[in-house]
Amino acid sequence: MKRRIIVALGLVAVLAVALAAATSAATKKTAANSITVWLQTDAQSGWPDVVAAANQQFQSAHPGWTVNIQYQSWTDHLQKFDATLAGGGGPDVIEMGNTETTKYMASGAFAPLDKTQFDNYANWLPGLAASGRYGGKTYAVPYYAGSRVVTYRKDLFAKAGIKKLPATTAQYMADAQKLLAKNKQKGFSPVYIAGEDWYVAMGFVFDYGGGIATEVSGKWKGLLASPQSIAGLTAFKNFFLAASRASKTTIETNPNPYNVYAEGLAASMVGPSWFTCCVGKKYTASTAQFVMPGHIAGKTMPGFLGGSDLAVPVTSSNKALATEWIKDFTDTASEKALQAKGNIPNATNLLGNSVNERAAARSWFVPTAKHWVDVENGNILRNMLGQILTGKLTVKQAAQSASDNVASVLNQP
Amino acid sequence: MRGTSTTAAAAETTLHRSRRQRRFWNRSGRLAVPYLLVVPVVVVIGLVLGYPLYWLARLSTQKYGLFELIQHHGTSVGFANYSSVLHDQIFWHTLLRTVIFTVANVALTMVLGLLIALLLVRVSTVVRLLLSSGLVLVWSMPVVVAVQIFYWMTNFQNGVVNYVLTELHIGNYDQHDWYATTFSQLSLVTVLIVWGAIPFVAITLFAGLAQVPHDLVEAAEVDGARPWAIFRDITIPVIRPILLILTSLSIIWDFGVFTQPYLLIGQAKITPGNYLMSIYLFEEGYFKTDFGRGAAISILMLLIVAVLSVVYVRRMVRIGTAQ
Repeated sequence: MKRRIIVALGLVAVLAVALAAATSAATKKTAANSITVWLQTDAQSGWPDVVAAANQQFQSAHPGWTVNIQYQSWTDHLQKFDATLAGGGGPDVIEMGNTETTKYMASGAFAPLDKTQFDNYANWLPGLAASGRYGGKTYAVPYYAGSRVVTYRKDLFAKAGIKKLPATTAQYMADAQKLLAKNKQKGFSPVYIAGEDWYVAMGFVFDYGGGIATEVSGKWKGLLASPQSIAGLTAFKNFFLAASRASKTTIETNPNPYNVYAEGLAASMVGPSWFTCCVGKKYTASTAQFVMPGHIAGKTMPGFLGGSDLAVPVTSSNKALATEWIKDFTDTASEKALQAKGNIPNATNLLGNSVNERAAARSWFVPTAKHWVDVENGNILRNMLGQILTGKLTVKQAAQSASDNVASVLNQP
Repeated sequence: MRGTSTTAAAAETTLHRSRRQRRFWNRSGRLAVPYLLVVPVVVVIGLVLGYPLYWLARLSTQKYGLFELIQHHGTSVGFANYSSVLHDQIFWHTLLRTVIFTVANVALTMVLGLLIALLLVRVSTVVRLLLSSGLVLVWSMPVVVAVQIFYWMTNFQNGVVNYVLTELHIGNYDQHDWYATTFSQLSLVTVLIVWGAIPFVAITLFAGLAQVPHDLVEAAEVDGARPWAIFRDITIPVIRPILLILTSLSIIWDFGVFTQPYLLIGQAKITPGNYLMSIYLFEEGYFKTDFGRGAAISILMLLIVAVLSVVYVRRMVRIGTAQ
């Protein structure tokens, strides 16, 4: 009898402590007069002044309010965001890659926005606008886009006797041999491309008329094993083996190509146009950019049109102010400032004639499917490229298995 | 008591009763002490284990994705999550890979740890001091820092491992990619884990070896026993309980290891082809925002670890009662 009472008392104590813990968690107060904005670190390293100007504008229109900018990294910001959806304490504004938004819009994670209150809404870049629209409503505002171009060393190209910029991929490959002959350092790449840089590799695929996946009467069909895609992947393999000394199995951010370039170990690199930011003082003057040539003369290689959107999570308690901040950060002045940093502004009426903007003329984009983000996170394309470059599988085998994988992930309920 | 006066009798009865009562309270007090002592542990375990476990079990029977996360409640699906996991080829491949990985890690940890412990007994005081300080330093290094240093050492472009191996003419390791194959990736993870686990095992076993009776060893030596026989018949039986507990702890740790493989291999390099159980759980649960399925995987993992440890716990208990 006694024993039972003691056990019961123990349980009561457990419950009491648990209840106390639960109540104290519930009464946690939120910071007053501040909105939290999650931006990617690209803004931190590339255009902190544009962010500061938008904050200034917001704060002068809303005295007493401050903006708390928290910089996030692409690799884990979604997991962090998911945690805040469940537990609170999340941002009032979040930046999302245009390949990431669909899944969240479909799950009701964002508050609907009235697009007419934003500058240039009628001319938003079609690719970005589509990634912010779901079921006829706007949930995310285009922030900026970026295309991929070649950043190169004029001095090294001149020293290797390259008088004209390459007009085809084949010419570029020949130039790579000339560059290699003049630069014998260990690990030197005429064209630095990470082996598993799927953004570059898919450019070849699209250049040859291939694709990743397409929707056929409501069902996704993998395209990577099509003859065109295989031709593209083979061209990528040949180009990589001839021009890049990067690891065959590393990704495009490890190391960052501009770091390799800044160390003097690359004559050129393929990547976002803002790569000029970080080529190092020594090479800033001798650095220029051109549009990656395709395999047919006169046609550029399609580049990945990446971009970011800004959204207001449903969990935000300051939705109106959050929208105001997005308005300030995406107004014409901010977009022009972003453009000056080498980005593509969010609207067609603001487009100029930079290398970046010319590259955007022929671009490709990932399938707009709810589960696309799972394909990216599952590293299916990267894995395929590693298998192809290391020769573990033939191009056909690797492409077939990746294609099946992509289709099965995209067709999940 | 019939001959005594009523008042005296009453007094005596009261006295008896109070004495009996006191005895009763003494006895039950003594009985209650162990339970009272256990209460704080029960409370703590209930809070940090029981409550989350209850929620985990509940979550594993629900459909709980991003949509449900935002709504703050899932929909019950019975055992659908479990059957989906158990019908997943990737689960079985991952389980097999993890078991092999665990066996390799635990075996290496225990053998190397034991060898170092035996070495510690034999060496001079100065060397022992140096060696054990080195071990403690290894042990005190945060895992994340250790991973980063291993990563730098094995770097493709300018890692020290490639440089040293090439300079020593062991082979051409110039730009050797240590992360190219699953085997190579997991071998690096094994080196990192074993390196980090040896100190605890070695120092604990060293303490255990101090319990081996010296006179027994001497007597055996006088009788002409070879070192191997002494080790097998005297040392091992004495330290067996410690070996068992260390092995079972290592199994539990290595089976569920996450930080080292996840950080060293890196998210961008993780595919179903190199999953370990905890990574499978993380990818399915968090990356695919299918928390119900993730919960089912973690319950299954819990059961597997429980089964693995039952064998050892039972053997340990048997050794305890035998002694």
